Amino acid sequence: MEATANSFYQDKVVIRLIQFSVIWAVAAMAVGVYISAELVWPGIDFGQFWLSFGRLRPLHTNGIIFGFGVSALMATAFYSVQRTSHVTLYAPRLAWFCCYAWQLIVLLGGLSLLAGWTSSKEYAELEWPFDIAIAIVWVSFGIVFFGTIAKRKIRPIYISNWFYGSLIIVIAMLHIVNNLAIPVTLDKSYSLYAGAQDAVVQWWYGHNAVGFLLTGGFLGMVYYFLPKHAGRPIWSYRLSVVAFWAFVYSYIWAGPHHLHYSAIPEWVQSLAMGMSLILLAPSWATMINGIMTVSTAWEKLRTDPALKFIVLSLAFYGLATFEGPMMSIRSVNVVSHFTDWTVGHVHSGALGWNAMITYGTFYFLVPRLVGRELHSTRLANMHFWMALAGTMLYIMSMWAAGVSQGLLWLSVDQLGELSFGFKDIMASMTPYYLMRLVAGLVFLGGTLLMAYNLFMTLKGQQPKRASIPAVDPAYGMS
Amino acid sequence: MSADSATIKSIDSLILLKSLYQPLDTFEELSKTNPTPVHILMGYAVWLLILPPVFSLIGAANFGWRLGAAEPLYMTMDTLWVISLGYFAALAFGLISTAIISRWMASTYGANTSLGRHMALITIVGEPLAIASIAHLFPDVFVNVLVMIPTMIWSMYLLYKGIPIVLEIPPERGMLMASALVGWLLVAAVSLLGLSMTLWVMGVGPLLGV
Repeated sequence: MEATANSFYQDKVVIRLIQFSVIWAVAAMAVGVYISAELVWPGIDFGQFWLSFGRLRPLHTNGIIFGFGVSALMATAFYSVQRTSHVTLYAPRLAWFCCYAWQLIVLLGGLSLLAGWTSSKEYAELEWPFDIAIAIVWVSFGIVFFGTIAKRKIRPIYISNWFYGSLIIVIAMLHIVNNLAIPVTLDKSYSLYAGAQDAVVQWWYGHNAVGFLLTGGFLGMVYYFLPKHAGRPIWSYRLSVVAFWAFVYSYIWAGPHHLHYSAIPEWVQSLAMGMSLILLAPSWATMINGIMTVSTAWEKLRTDPALKFIVLSLAFYGLATFEGPMMSIRSVNVVSHFTDWTVGHVHSGALGWNAMITYGTFYFLVPRLVGRELHSTRLANMHFWMALAGTMLYIMSMWAAGVSQGLLWLSVDQLGELSFGFKDIMASMTPYYLMRLVAGLVFLGGTLLMAYNLFMTLKGQQPKRASIPAVDPAYGMS
Repeated sequence: MSADSATIKSIDSLILLKSLYQPLDTFEELSKTNPTPVHILMGYAVWLLILPPVFSLIGAANFGWRLGAAEPLYMTMDTLWVISLGYFAALAFGLISTAIISRWMASTYGANTSLGRHMALITIVGEPLAIASIAHLFPDVFVNVLVMIPTMIWSMYLLYKGIPIVLEIPPERGMLMASALVGWLLVAAVSLLGLSMTLWVMGVGPLLGV
């Protein structure tokens, strides 16, 4: 029987998304390194508005989350949903539209941030024209993903698809509700919400963007690629399903823990704190599931450098998902909030968890997509140690800086007067910021090694055509 | 009885000094013994655990906590004693719980389940940190960070190298187990930070306006 286009998975779009993801990783991490240098030498903005910390910082966060993160999530979702559904992508042209339109949004959105367009909502800084464009592309992403699931040839919907599906649905809901605004000009709009309500909606968005995009989406990656890496099924499928529903239920309440001791009602703060603590259970259920899956696959470590990244990413996932609930406790938060500990916490998740799991997945996926060995295992191993060292140094420097700040600016003398001035405290943070700059450079250096390694692996290669295997009749649709 | 004495004698020579300059040989020797956990804890670990709180007490009493601001933060001797005792309790809990968790993980990774060996391994891994805590004598946070971070990297190296040798498992399996333990240790470290802050807010420690 002659093979038709429908006999092979559509992987070209996956490769292109991975390429974009790596480009954004390098660019946005370089911006992160630059702004960390600005905190040491403030003069290096050279008096240019577009080089100021206030404009480059959202460029860094948006570039990482939406450029690097979402491109990687789209790539891995398109790859895995085909394999777990035993069909090719639904509406492949729409998938290509998602790929390129998304990159255009990140590029133009980034430039608009440099130009000073901002809604001033953290992680939702892009102004209303971009918000509408994001909604259109996101819905298209959903159509491709759920369309593929709808035409699947295998009855069960594998757990990774539940996580990717929740990512698509919840982010659409959060993005649209949080960005409802009245446009005034092309580059300015006013939020539909006011005062404390605006803050609650913003952090309902902000925290659940962390939850459903940076956690849920990447858990989808874990649940598909970790068993593939390890060459064995997930340790407990039942636990993964329980963890999914517990995760979805508890995460959505936790946002107001970003607003402790603010103008929102105290019971809302306490509820958010309670739900944040409960959240530890499903988060760690997934971590244990991952660790137990990989624990019997140790022989693979001899030949597969990618697996190391995944193992370490689970350790940092464990740390970040413990640290977060702990920092949501009001008596800890009163000291930790507005300090660099929060920045360290975010990066233990972003570098240790999100970046590491993505790197491990790319090292696994790219050679398979083009049917050749990774260009250099040695470089990948070097990258691993650089990523680990960079992450550890980053976290440690921010822990020390954050605890010092919290302690210093709450210290009072016997008369109840503040002991130290804000300006003096910040001026004394230079050594930690220098250490963080080194950490960022080491981590970025590792990412550059990966970019080179993947580029050389892909160079001159056409995507390998992967055919769709037959479905086990026990799991078939009919 | 004589076998026990031989075992104890053989580990006498190794833990405190030799592990500092010949850690891999020490791990090899440890893999041939089965010390009792109480012997390791009372004979070695407790003496190491006592160092950081003592250094911290002396340092804070003489120089104050130097957190980067112009004026060091001085506390009363009573407060410093409470902090040091709490520090000792946290370190003791950390060591014992890590050894117990390490043994609990052993069945998953096919490792040796002698609690004494786990306790000895964790003691050796933590020893450089305990000795480096001499930096607490001058409690400037940045000086301590500069001393403790390289020491911590050395301790992590010892953990990754030591597990497969002492617990008799292949290096790849050891890497997985060590990473799982690193996950636990990171959580323990951040718990110590959170606990400290809660205690400060409750009024134990520096005077805070909260």
